Amino acid sequence: MIKHLRLAAFVIAGVAATSAAHADVTVYSAGPAGLINGLAEGFKAKTGVQVNVFQGTTGKVLARIEAEAANPQVDVLVSASWDTANDFTQRGWLLPYTSPNAATVPDFLKSETAVAQGVSALGIVWNPKSGTPKPEEWADLTKPEFKDLVTLPDPAQSGAAFELVAALSGTAGNWKLFEDLAANGAIVAGANAAALNPVLQGAKAAVFGAVDYISFAGKKKGESVEVIFPASGTVVAPRPVMILNWSKNQDEAKQFVDYILSDEGQALVAKAFLIPARTDIPADRPVIKDLKLLEIDSTQVYANRAQMLEEFSKIFSKK
Amino acid sequence: MSTPGTTRNPGPVVWGAAAALIVLVAIPLLFIVLQAIFPAIGQGSLASPFDGVLDVLTDPKLVGMAGNTLVLGLGVVVCSAVIAVPLAFLRALFQVPLARLWDVLLLIPFMIPPYIATLGWIMTVQPNGYLKQVTGLDAGSYLFSIGGVIFVMTLGVFPVVYFAVSRTVEAIGGRYADVGRVFGASPFTALRRVTLPLSLPGLAASLLLVFAMAIEEYGTPAALGRQAGFEVLVTGIDTRVSDWPIDLRGAAVLSLVLVMMSLGAFMIQLRILANRSFETVGGKPQAVRKRPLGIFAIPVVAAFAIVTLLAVGVPLFAIFATALSKTLSGGLSPDNLGFDHFRAIVADENGAFRALVNSLSLGIATAVITGVIGAATSYMVVRTRFRGKGFLDALTVMPNAIPGVVVAVGIILAWNQPWLPVTPYNTPLILLMAYCCILLPYPVRYANAAFRQVGDNLEAAARVFGASPLVAFRRILFPLVLPSLLASMLLVFAVATRELVASLLLAPVGMSTISTFIWRQFDQGSVGLGMAMSAVTILITTTIPLLVTLASGRRGPM
Repeated sequence: MIKHLRLAAFVIAGVAATSAAHADVTVYSAGPAGLINGLAEGFKAKTGVQVNVFQGTTGKVLARIEAEAANPQVDVLVSASWDTANDFTQRGWLLPYTSPNAATVPDFLKSETAVAQGVSALGIVWNPKSGTPKPEEWADLTKPEFKDLVTLPDPAQSGAAFELVAALSGTAGNWKLFEDLAANGAIVAGANAAALNPVLQGAKAAVFGAVDYISFAGKKKGESVEVIFPASGTVVAPRPVMILNWSKNQDEAKQFVDYILSDEGQALVAKAFLIPARTDIPADRPVIKDLKLLEIDSTQVYANRAQMLEEFSKIFSKK
Repeated sequence: MSTPGTTRNPGPVVWGAAAALIVLVAIPLLFIVLQAIFPAIGQGSLASPFDGVLDVLTDPKLVGMAGNTLVLGLGVVVCSAVIAVPLAFLRALFQVPLARLWDVLLLIPFMIPPYIATLGWIMTVQPNGYLKQVTGLDAGSYLFSIGGVIFVMTLGVFPVVYFAVSRTVEAIGGRYADVGRVFGASPFTALRRVTLPLSLPGLAASLLLVFAMAIEEYGTPAALGRQAGFEVLVTGIDTRVSDWPIDLRGAAVLSLVLVMMSLGAFMIQLRILANRSFETVGGKPQAVRKRPLGIFAIPVVAAFAIVTLLAVGVPLFAIFATALSKTLSGGLSPDNLGFDHFRAIVADENGAFRALVNSLSLGIATAVITGVIGAATSYMVVRTRFRGKGFLDALTVMPNAIPGVVVAVGIILAWNQPWLPVTPYNTPLILLMAYCCILLPYPVRYANAAFRQVGDNLEAAARVFGASPLVAFRRILFPLVLPSLLASMLLVFAVATRELVASLLLAPVGMSTISTFIWRQFDQGSVGLGMAMSAVTILITTTIPLLVTLASGRRGPM
């Protein structure tokens, strides 16, 4: 942080003389708050353009955009779910833009209208002080050692958790893994933070399919927690950055997207323990090439979303 | 209804109150109704009205959610009354040892945000929680049930009833009961036939508030009820607002169902109070004379202590223990304790300090504005006769029943219209308007009950001696209702300072409040920092009412 501020101060000094009046850019972003605030500060230091940030969960951000639709306010949107990009593209709300900095972003993390800021992956988050053997695979959490000791984030509240459920249950609808989990006393505990909390305090031993970056950050702060990516595979959640086509500040918005994908911007992404979208940026954590990714057919999966959630909640409500 | 006052011609007070109610409450409400009817109102289109309303209303889950909501609301009302009414009567009629202390301590639940109290309870009683760490006891997971939701919510809201009833009964005093005794009633009969009925306005008004608070509150049922499959309307509404695809119209329709429930409760309250007079404040001075408790002092103190321990002690312990723990997984061992999180707040990391200043300023402004509007509205409703006052009175109940998130949607729809030349939207003013809308019911209900107790003869006497209606209001009525009003304003201050649900959606870009700051910390796994911020907030919001009480030299803070 300090280092970053110093850098910022240095850049401010450099551009202060030349900074002219610019339009502000309004950015709505899903968490983490520290990352988007850091990006906003860094961008202002570099270009002199003020970034106004509204930060909330993906759901709240989308609700606000929906309610504002008569008179939209947002220029750039960062969502925690790639599905937002598909949905908004379909509605024709997005401005096509390919940043020159996106050259080393892999193809599956960019489209004509969106590009990933960073990527989070889902894993097993396990508390080594829980007195349980270290789990290696998803199915390990159905073993008797983990009886009543597992939480799951609610797939209805977390897009990534939903994709994991979809990937693991498969198109054939094989729910055995989840039925075993439910039979082993696993509980669905709300959003990501609500699933992690009891594991940190030791009331539970592991989260099945937690968003990884929060736990990496926790571990850095000294929490007793480990993130395990099963060898059988997992899913990742790319976080799309989009420019809305109603933006009146499109030039500044494009500059901001360029900044997110710049060396400096991607370094901030890595510092938040997300996987940088650019493959040439180092990160202090497993990156995409270290993970085995489970395939899902997102068109089909999202078309069946309601039924799958229904099925999922049925499994976990009967005990 | 109490005897109507002499004022028939609505004065400036009334017009001002009506205008404020329309801007703050009626307009957002209108847009919620419009959203319920026109699915595409957000895009500024009135296309396909009523399309799909039936689908929302005939959703088989709706009956279950509505039933659960009623169970929850009534459960919290009954439990609050069972805890609060006996304590309030004891406090008002007897010399309870340490009475002032209990009053101050029972204020604290107002200052603890419900979602924090719930998290505190979870962290206390879950396996390996603080209860286990401190006492070795394991309370299991009884908390994650309907009973758990009612239990935690009751502990957060029963002080509303306690303060309203103890103040009302104190104002009635032993005097009316003494008259009953002179005429041969036993102490119990005097209580049942005289004091209890006279305290009805305070009791009914506060129970109405509790019911509305219970069916509107989101955090506790979401955290404790969902795991038990206990879905209420508010959690259903939140799912529609934040789950893909966003369904604002469904949320609006479900909110109107909630409003109907609250209006139903309001009608019941009106019926209870109808055709009776509760005037107890006449021109005669009354001595406050309380009886000694004698040998009952010990059990009474024990009752106050147990209730305080549960409502204040447990949540506060969990909050401070977490705030002082460097890591959550480290537990309560000495080397894991320290002031790191508090230091981070003082050092203004992540804008904690600015969030504090924002929320405290908003809280003070909300308290002042709702206090003034509340006094004027209640005066209008109780003391004047003009058509439409019933409608305006009902308006002051509804915001209490609408979930904060839907109020926020209504406000965005209303104030983000492209044709508005100037708009408070995306400025801090919009949060002030939202808080005023949501919290107006408190001062209105408190002042309403107070006005009903002031005899007409006092105002009439002032008028006989040549005072204008405005002077009579200012010099006679206002000072008499001031204690109740002040109490409700302190409550508004506390709740506005920590309002979460509307703020999450409505905060102008770049602005944090205390609650959005705390929520962000929780969302990112920094529970300790979030709890430290809660602790600081609770300290500040408890200190300010204490200072106000000391400065005004009145008895008790509420």
